[in-house]
Amino acid sequence: MKHSPGLRLLLWALLVAVAALSSVGFFADRVQRALTLEGAAALAADLVVEQGRPVPDEWLQQGRALGLEVSRIVTFPSVLFIADRPQLVQVKAVEPNYPLRGELRVRTATQEVQAPPQPGQAVVAKRLALLLDARTTVPLGELQLQVSGELVDEPDLAANLFQLAPRLMVSWEDAQRSGLLGPASRARHRLLLAGDARQVAAYRDWIKPRLDKAAELVEVDGGRPELSTAIERGRRFLSLAALCASLLAGVAIMLATRRFVDRALDEAAVLRTLGMTSWQVLWHYLQRLLWVTLIGALLGSLLGYLVQLTLVGALGDWLGRDLPPPGWQPLGVSLSHAAILVLGFSLPTLLAIRRVPPLRVLRRDLDPPGLPQSLLSLLAVCVYGLAVYWQVDDARLAGSMSIGMVAVLAVFALVAWGLLRLLRPLRRRGGLAVGLAALSRQPGLTLMQLAGFGLGITLLLLLALVRVDILEAWEANLPADAPNHFLINIQPDEVQAVDALLRQHGVSGSGFYPTTRARLVAINGEPVQPENYDNRRARRLATREYSLGFGAAMQDDNRLLAGRWWAAGQPAFSIEEGLAENLGLAPGDVLHFDVAGEALQAPVTSIRSVAWDSFNVNFFVQGNPVLLQGLPHAVLTSVHLDESQNALLQQVTRQFPAVSVIGIGPLLEKVRGVIARGALAIEAVFLFTLAAAVLVGLAAVQISREQRASEIALLRTLGASHRQVLRLVLSEFLVLGLLSGILAALLANILSVVLARELFELRTGFSPLLWLVGSLLGVGVVGLLGYLATRPLLRAPPMQLLR
Amino acid sequence: MDAPGGGSLAILRGIDLQVNAGEALAILGASGSGKSTLLGLLAGLDQPSSGEVSLLERPLQELDEDQRARLRLGRVGFVFQSFQLMPGMTALENVRLPLQLTGQADAQVQAERLLRDVGLRDRMSHLPQQLSGGEQQRVAIARAFAGPPRVLFADEPTGNLDSNTGEQVEQLLFDLRDQFGTTLALVTHEQRLADRCDRVVRLDAGQLDA
Repeated sequence: MKHSPGLRLLLWALLVAVAALSSVGFFADRVQRALTLEGAAALAADLVVEQGRPVPDEWLQQGRALGLEVSRIVTFPSVLFIADRPQLVQVKAVEPNYPLRGELRVRTATQEVQAPPQPGQAVVAKRLALLLDARTTVPLGELQLQVSGELVDEPDLAANLFQLAPRLMVSWEDAQRSGLLGPASRARHRLLLAGDARQVAAYRDWIKPRLDKAAELVEVDGGRPELSTAIERGRRFLSLAALCASLLAGVAIMLATRRFVDRALDEAAVLRTLGMTSWQVLWHYLQRLLWVTLIGALLGSLLGYLVQLTLVGALGDWLGRDLPPPGWQPLGVSLSHAAILVLGFSLPTLLAIRRVPPLRVLRRDLDPPGLPQSLLSLLAVCVYGLAVYWQVDDARLAGSMSIGMVAVLAVFALVAWGLLRLLRPLRRRGGLAVGLAALSRQPGLTLMQLAGFGLGITLLLLLALVRVDILEAWEANLPADAPNHFLINIQPDEVQAVDALLRQHGVSGSGFYPTTRARLVAINGEPVQPENYDNRRARRLATREYSLGFGAAMQDDNRLLAGRWWAAGQPAFSIEEGLAENLGLAPGDVLHFDVAGEALQAPVTSIRSVAWDSFNVNFFVQGNPVLLQGLPHAVLTSVHLDESQNALLQQVTRQFPAVSVIGIGPLLEKVRGVIARGALAIEAVFLFTLAAAVLVGLAAVQISREQRASEIALLRTLGASHRQVLRLVLSEFLVLGLLSGILAALLANILSVVLARELFELRTGFSPLLWLVGSLLGVGVVGLLGYLATRPLLRAPPMQLLR
Repeated sequence: MDAPGGGSLAILRGIDLQVNAGEALAILGASGSGKSTLLGLLAGLDQPSSGEVSLLERPLQELDEDQRARLRLGRVGFVFQSFQLMPGMTALENVRLPLQLTGQADAQVQAERLLRDVGLRDRMSHLPQQLSGGEQQRVAIARAFAGPPRVLFADEPTGNLDSNTGEQVEQLLFDLRDQFGTTLALVTHEQRLADRCDRVVRLDAGQLDA
């Protein structure tokens, strides 16, 4: 490789591509694993069996026999009398090992602990603590329990975020002794199970046939939508940045291969005259390429793993927990990606070597008949599209990126051709003649250089400038005063009074939204059966209770994906995209809900995306308010409250006993953390793109090095001075740089708007700064690279270059 | 002379040679005898490790690379075995290039006249790759005489051409040389070409037989 700068460059390009992809791959894998754990935390277990009757001992024993950890929970509503006023509470009795997954946080008088209440003790929600005031005991049936602390966070709250009554957490034994768990009680019994995946699967298989219709098996799914949306955005950002690096590396690989082949042709012609068959010649060079691929891929993966460790070191508490170690899958993906890059960007160019005419030993100007550059590029784009699809498993993204690249190359080719034609009259003027002549020397090569520089600058602009725009838009999604409390179960006739009370304290809500609990019973007249759905999440969605929300207009952070928003007075539903996808719903389908015994039915007229991480009030199913007529419903709003506004909370709960206040501060902070750390991670991955862009620049300059060397020698021989030669040669790079810069600015501007809207569902505008920076960057960077590449050639005596 | 291995290699030794104004000198020798190296030293394209070379009464070892280039500018022409045309430039642009480098206002007119003189009136806007070997060398000769030069160095000017074309190019070279009264230093291994010169020196293993 010592004598083959082309291969050396190729190795570097592969190293960067694989390192970028594998570091993001490893990191994303670990975050994904952590998310699964997060999902488990949201259940407080890996698997939950829930039913109205106590859990039979046999179920527990079987769990233990399989090596699983087991724990029981029973929840039931109860009424406490506090200062002679009745207060509905949701009692949750837990065993000492609760929770099996996730974290329970209880604030006692002195510290924060993670232990559930012991017999004789009770832990109360903040709202209940406010009502209890200075009282230190709570009654539970026949017992009086000591209040031992305030509930800060319980992992499996998400499943029941909108419960109406405040939580009273007690020990399992106390619940049994309270006398409240008679046969008529409305208790829900849950069996929590946790262990390794195989044991859990074995238990699931065992329990399934034993469950009756009233029992439900709850499994881990994606966790809370607010968090998973934020993380999914982060992952897309990271993948995109890594793919940009790998795309650039691909271009560098293509350019490097071209240089390698150009230099190998003479040797290949000699090998042919010595009697090697065309396939033998190809194999001779292919072996080198394969070795370089293998070494580049392995070293790249190693580097990627190390970078990932650094990422984790810096951002590991992304989810507020230690990340689990990564699996081996990302390694396989990156190695295959290296192979794909070489296959798409390198091999087609290398194949030309097979057809080198032996006569080249006599006539050096004889080139092998090869595929035209445009076809080679198209081939590379197709292969790249497949790689993207494989990497991010998103056909839309892969398709749009591939089509985008073809469009980019076509635009580059067209503009390059047009501009060179347009500039032709300038060739009569001495200064630009050499530069322009150099550019029209080999149009295919010029296009490659233009595409290389142009793509490099485009991606730099995108990641350097647009990244800031997009990240700002992302962060703006979650402003400092994002709602951190929900007020739910406001009675329709209380809305005005609640609103007045909030305003009086300078708090403005996000608006008041009527809601009602409902169960989906049929779609298009067909009863909904969980067993009709293959996927776990769909089965769960089919059986869960929905909070139907009502509002005439679509929320600001929603986006219409299909269908139309309803007309005033039209009975209709709008469905969130994930729900629509899981249940296979489309505009036109009619949904039948059961609302406390009343039937409610209307067609779906639109599918919309929801920015769950905005923390605005949002609903999976939103209905036109005309549907509300005659239905029992309550109203909810969300507000931002400071720590100092506890008194207001107290006043709300006192004045409106039915109203429940739910704090989502911890979740909000978690999402905020994901955004901040996500932005950091993207900046880290951005460095790879930078490295790849530099490699592309080097490759693009190197590719015409021999040609340029002989031209410089000739100019020197003819008597051109140092300065004259520099000016003449630099004119080539400056024209190239300016063209690439302008094209890159145009492209980056279009792409930024499209990307922000299509991929991240964020809005950004056009930036005039892009154009200025793009052009300057083009002229500056390409000019500098050109200067650096030309300088050593200027120093060599002309004779040396002519030999 | 530094050899690629890092040691030094004596290519030329004890050379004492003078080419007079208006004279045509042929340097004859076998491959590897050092002919091209000698030509490069004479033209100031390279520097000897020891010894002195003067061109147009200027001692080259006292000049730096840029000063040597300036000395050649407009005064020295070259014809190479492998033509050495700028591949991205048309025949006309190639001939115009040295005239533009010296800043001549009528570069275009002069270049067109020279190309007509070498019989390429209809090939002016062709790129080198669109021309035959003989035509390319004629463009190179037209370029070499743009100026016109006081000294012309030619390195195997017919080496890449068949004998017929070679003879035509050779004729052209000497016709123009007579027309402009240019001093000619020519490297060749062809006796026939050498015979057309005023004087012939033989180079053997880096030494002049004279």
